[in-house]
Amino acid sequence: MRILSLALLAIATLPWAPTAAAEPEVTVTLDAMPTEARVGDTMQLEVRVRTRGGRIQDLKLADLQKYPELEIISHQTMRPMQFSFGFGSGVRMESSFANVYVLRPTAPGTYKFSPAVAKVDGKLYRSKPLTLVVDAGVGNAHGTVDPAAKPRAALGSEMSGARYDPRAFLRTVVEPDEVYIGQQVNVTVYLYARVRLSPQSLIPGKPSMDGFWVQDDPITSLQFETVPVNGTQFRAYPIQRSVAFPQRSGELTIGPPKISFDSGSGSLFDAPQRIERVGVPVTVKVEPLPRPGPVDAVVGNYAIQARLDRNTVKTGDAVTLTVDAGGTGNVQDLRIDLPPIVGVRTLQPAIRDQQRFAGGKLSGTRSWEWILIAESPGEHSVAPIELQFFDPETEAYESVSTPALSFTASGETTRQQQTIEPVERQPRPSTATFGPIRVYSALTRGEAPVREQAWFTWVLAFPPAMFVLIVLGAGFSRRREQRSATSGAVQRQLIRNAESALHANDPRGFYDGIVASITHALDSRLGEPVAGLPHTELRRRLAAEGFDDDLMQRLVNELEGADFARFAASGVNKDEMERCLKRTVTIVERVQRLPRKS
Amino acid sequence: MRAWCIVLALLVAALAAEGAAFAEEPSRAAGRSSLTGVFESANVAASRGDHTAAISSYGQLIEAGVRDPDVYFNLATSFAQSGEYARAILNYERALALRPNDSRASENLRDAEKALEEQRAEIEGEATIQRSTSISDAAYGGFSEDSLAYGLLVTNLIFFIGLAWASIGRRRNRWLYPLLITSGVLLLTFALGLGTKAGLLRDGPRAVALDDRVILREGPDPRAQVRGEARGGDRGEIVDRDRDFVKLRVVSGLEGWTPAAGVGLVDSHHDVH
Repeated sequence: MRILSLALLAIATLPWAPTAAAEPEVTVTLDAMPTEARVGDTMQLEVRVRTRGGRIQDLKLADLQKYPELEIISHQTMRPMQFSFGFGSGVRMESSFANVYVLRPTAPGTYKFSPAVAKVDGKLYRSKPLTLVVDAGVGNAHGTVDPAAKPRAALGSEMSGARYDPRAFLRTVVEPDEVYIGQQVNVTVYLYARVRLSPQSLIPGKPSMDGFWVQDDPITSLQFETVPVNGTQFRAYPIQRSVAFPQRSGELTIGPPKISFDSGSGSLFDAPQRIERVGVPVTVKVEPLPRPGPVDAVVGNYAIQARLDRNTVKTGDAVTLTVDAGGTGNVQDLRIDLPPIVGVRTLQPAIRDQQRFAGGKLSGTRSWEWILIAESPGEHSVAPIELQFFDPETEAYESVSTPALSFTASGETTRQQQTIEPVERQPRPSTATFGPIRVYSALTRGEAPVREQAWFTWVLAFPPAMFVLIVLGAGFSRRREQRSATSGAVQRQLIRNAESALHANDPRGFYDGIVASITHALDSRLGEPVAGLPHTELRRRLAAEGFDDDLMQRLVNELEGADFARFAASGVNKDEMERCLKRTVTIVERVQRLPRKS
Repeated sequence: MRAWCIVLALLVAALAAEGAAFAEEPSRAAGRSSLTGVFESANVAASRGDHTAAISSYGQLIEAGVRDPDVYFNLATSFAQSGEYARAILNYERALALRPNDSRASENLRDAEKALEEQRAEIEGEATIQRSTSISDAAYGGFSEDSLAYGLLVTNLIFFIGLAWASIGRRRNRWLYPLLITSGVLLLTFALGLGTKAGLLRDGPRAVALDDRVILREGPDPRAQVRGEARGGDRGEIVDRDRDFVKLRVVSGLEGWTPAAGVGLVDSHHDVH
């Protein structure tokens, strides 16, 4: 079975094999990052060809030699290759070839690149053209920065949160540094460096952030921005980015960040030098929320909505109440208490959080799912759920609430069950992503799978077995019909022989035919030869087969008469032979029509 | 046409008889009501956050012979909420084996795997759970074994009726050969699916490593040389057994002997650890 299955799988994949020989898909790209810069800045120019199913033969960017003003600092060639397997596509080879140039413009101007040309399987493919714009001035231009990083002007102009070092130093940037309790603070740690650093060797140490609830915004690639500090160009690398929410008022301190990395000239003969740096602590002033105001207000800007998954249930059945509160702020601070509902049992809610960074701000949605079990019939109402918050943008308290919801329960009052009181009011963040617990189950017992049930094999074997029986039966039936048809033909031939003898006035031949015809009819009927049997024995056999006395008598008479006539043929006239022929035909027909005894 | 009606009627009658045979007996119904009480108390404990009590109660149900996807789901959720992610993965897998289209169980299984990876990565820097990624699992993942078995029976019947009709029927309709081809292809598909589910393409029942580090040895003895290790949540197959030891082959191909207590079997009709 296993081999058969594997063979079937192999056969199934065969039709897809020819697609590997299809026309290759080719993409040629010519990109730069950035496309606008100033003299002295660096720009990365990448020309790449990707193909699926083809062979790359050449990739040319002719115009690069045309501009000596664009100094090539470094050149890297990449040739990754991979194989893909998939339904409908067979086995395909994906390969690409790229040249990456780091350029430093030495003169302002507009540099136009005509399309890069790639040759794949003998055919030429072209990219789009590209234009680079270089302005006058040194440095301080567009670098490859993360969109969420602090603006370049602020990086260069202010040097708070840093201890200056001419080679490399760390700086902690906090925005804003005066906030309300619970308001978001963006904390970014930059490494300012003038030395060449090895990104793989970078080991940052997080600053301590006691008194804050912190959510890290991970930095996935090390990028930099060129900024002037005290008249010197530094590369500013954001190495850590977090959003922090102060949990108490007063002056909270963000501890000094640390970093260590290897620095070297890039020469094979120079050993890298390990550099370690420690930043300075930064203070954040945290104000309590303005008074008067609601005690349980959270900080942020939220909207809230609620829904029931059904409006009518039977008593004892469950309704799911879902409440979603979403907006800007730390959604994990949100708390909602569902007011008790008379006649309804409420289970502990399942809580799910979704958080995301957008425009440097943390936002998200917290969802609660309550299982409400109706214990008494009638209409049950879920009171509006109110959420109060303080919006730091408007510095005002606001309130949002859900509409009142209701559902109707029908049936009889179910027995009062133990009310479930939560053990902890604070939801556990680690448990929020699982569940919710299912309150209904068929409690199916461990029965063996259907294929292991005794009847399964019988039911499975029944159709093929019946098929075999039907086919065998049909064959047997057909064979019998065929034999019957053959027997009838022989019978007719014997009668015709007798007729021919009659017409030829050949009494001996005629009576031979009559005897042969009757004997053949009896042979076919009894399934055994009757020639040579004494008439008493023949009578016994015919009686056992259900022949009536009249027919037996006629048969015996005809056979005896024919035997006699064969040996006294001269005394027989033609009329007698014709009557004999008619009697014989009648007798044979009666023998053939006679029902068989089972 | 009349012949088809008779065949269909026979089929319906056979299914009805089968249903009657499986009708609930009074004793079974009585046992079920007591099980319902255990299930409710387990749910109450889970809702209170008392996961130890909930796990114990769900375990009682399973010891009592209950093999229900919802019970496995709740047990898995309780394990997950108490931080025992490998056991949560095992029980979500069991729930999915019984009800493959349970999207919430699939979602929770992914969450449990992610949580386990994150938990381990926090300590060790990186972590990956070995999962099965076979084509047959992907193709038949959405079907339960029983549904494939019933599909096989029905297509088997239709195919052989069509074949018999084609062999002996005097009048052949236009739809006979398309019906034969379609039912034949379906018959092969269901047979292959059932074979896959039944483990004919595997060397043993599916298993999940439960302990954080499952040591794989050369032989079924704690003194045997160590070949390697599987990590909690890793998927594999049990390819051999010897007393209290099982031979586990993980998805990467590594295999070795380990105490049976550190491994859980996914298919619920096998022994449960």
